[in-house]
Amino acid sequence: MVLIPVPKPPKSAMNPNRPVSKLLRNQMEHLQRAEFRLPLKQQTNIYINAIKTEGEAADYVRRVTQAIHSAHGVEPKGAAAGPIAVTPKRRATGRDIAAVAEVRPTRKRKTMRTSKAKTKRKTRTKRNR
Amino acid sequence: MSKGLDNLKRIVVLMMENRSFDHMLGALKAQDPRIDGITADLSNPDSTGAPVKVQPLAEFQGQLDPDPDHHFPGVDLQIFGGDTSAGRVPNMQGFVKSYFSQQHDVKHSQKIMYYFTPDKVPVLTTLATEFAVFNRWFASIPGPTICNRAFAHYGTSFGKVGMDLFYINEPYKSIYDRLILANPKRTSKLYYYDQASSTQEIVNLLQHQPELFGTYKQFLSDCKKGQLPDYSFVEPNYSDHDGDNGAEIASDQHPDHHVQAGELFIATIYNAIKANPDLWQSTVLLVVYDEHGGIYDHVVPPACPKDGFVAAANDTGTGRAFEFDRLGIRVPAILISPWIPKGTIVSDRTFEHASIPATVTKHFLGNYDQRSPREKAADTFLDLITLDTMRTDCPDFGV
Repeated sequence: MVLIPVPKPPKSAMNPNRPVSKLLRNQMEHLQRAEFRLPLKQQTNIYINAIKTEGEAADYVRRVTQAIHSAHGVEPKGAAAGPIAVTPKRRATGRDIAAVAEVRPTRKRKTMRTSKAKTKRKTRTKRNR
Repeated sequence: MSKGLDNLKRIVVLMMENRSFDHMLGALKAQDPRIDGITADLSNPDSTGAPVKVQPLAEFQGQLDPDPDHHFPGVDLQIFGGDTSAGRVPNMQGFVKSYFSQQHDVKHSQKIMYYFTPDKVPVLTTLATEFAVFNRWFASIPGPTICNRAFAHYGTSFGKVGMDLFYINEPYKSIYDRLILANPKRTSKLYYYDQASSTQEIVNLLQHQPELFGTYKQFLSDCKKGQLPDYSFVEPNYSDHDGDNGAEIASDQHPDHHVQAGELFIATIYNAIKANPDLWQSTVLLVVYDEHGGIYDHVVPPACPKDGFVAAANDTGTGRAFEFDRLGIRVPAILISPWIPKGTIVSDRTFEHASIPATVTKHFLGNYDQRSPREKAADTFLDLITLDTMRTDCPDFGV
């Protein structure tokens, strides 16, 4: 049996600061689509347009992949949580606000205000001025 | 049926990234003229019209930066040499022109013609000479990663020619769904490297069926325990990142990732299967690349049956619609099993990524009608497992 030696790449080949390729950029965009379908509490709040390096991209990919698995309650074997890296946080956008609006409130209102009640309250406020 | 094929229980596919056949395996022609690789006279004109010949100067890293164009219009230029006329003929003369258009540097653009000598890629070239190498395995689409990988999972890209999201159009199910919904039920798994690399098949599979996924660590463990599913699809690491055990270097070989890291990865997948004797004698491994990555290859992609979809001119970016009637550029593909004769060269048949679900379906499910026209027309490859006596001379890799 022949044993073929396989050379290892030099340590200098590793560069997590390499700029994000189109492939990784697309992967992040696709993951973001999937992320926006997750419950708000499982979203990363990361602003992917600010991600510039492979290391940052990997951090985002890891967080969303974990979130997807977690949302489905399935964790692949050998997928221990990786180290936490600093990734740019996303600013709140109109989309987020819209997403929040879609979520049902967890606390019930004490009473449902009817239009009649609203009118009464307005009148009362005017009177109190 | 050969004893080897009769014995086959599992199929494993490892899909790497963005290297052409001539770039990785073309130099093997000097060792075995049956391999349709590089001859010294192959050339492409540069932007001045001067011929640029192929040269054995490919380096592991730092040479193909920026990433060569491999999107639909770029590949169109590479195949047709810039001819946009109605009666144009593919000539594979536009690779240097295409790469020149990215940096406008004549000298740099010539690097797209460089190829590896076998000593630089010992894993891939050893596997190619020890088992079965395909002279005619083409990417499914003259375009980038996502649409090509879709063909490996679904047998179609549902009309997409780019990196856009695609959604499954019934009735074409993924190969994984076909297997798990079969009666009797079959098993399958996609092994991505780790969660920081994840998968390129997100919106349909990861998002809705994350239970289909495992990690590279799990693949190694499943190999050791003999618990590989009937069908496994393995993805390399797509990024340099910090992992649980320190630095994790990208192993996909996508430019400008280090080619030796990919070699090491291929070797570990092979070794993991071979280290378990039961697994080794009942498993076939296909190593294939998703597309050529903009790098030179001399073989003209053939026409193929239409897929029933049409990509509009706006989507192709070439000013003309595409009916999925031409394959993409040739990529390295090697079929590995101890039941395959050493030095098998597959020359007179054409394969593409739709051959993957076609082969898996044929072997595990038999007749299955709800498949794309391209997949139905795709050739299958398990008939290459022809031996009745298992080989004992297969190589090992020291990793």
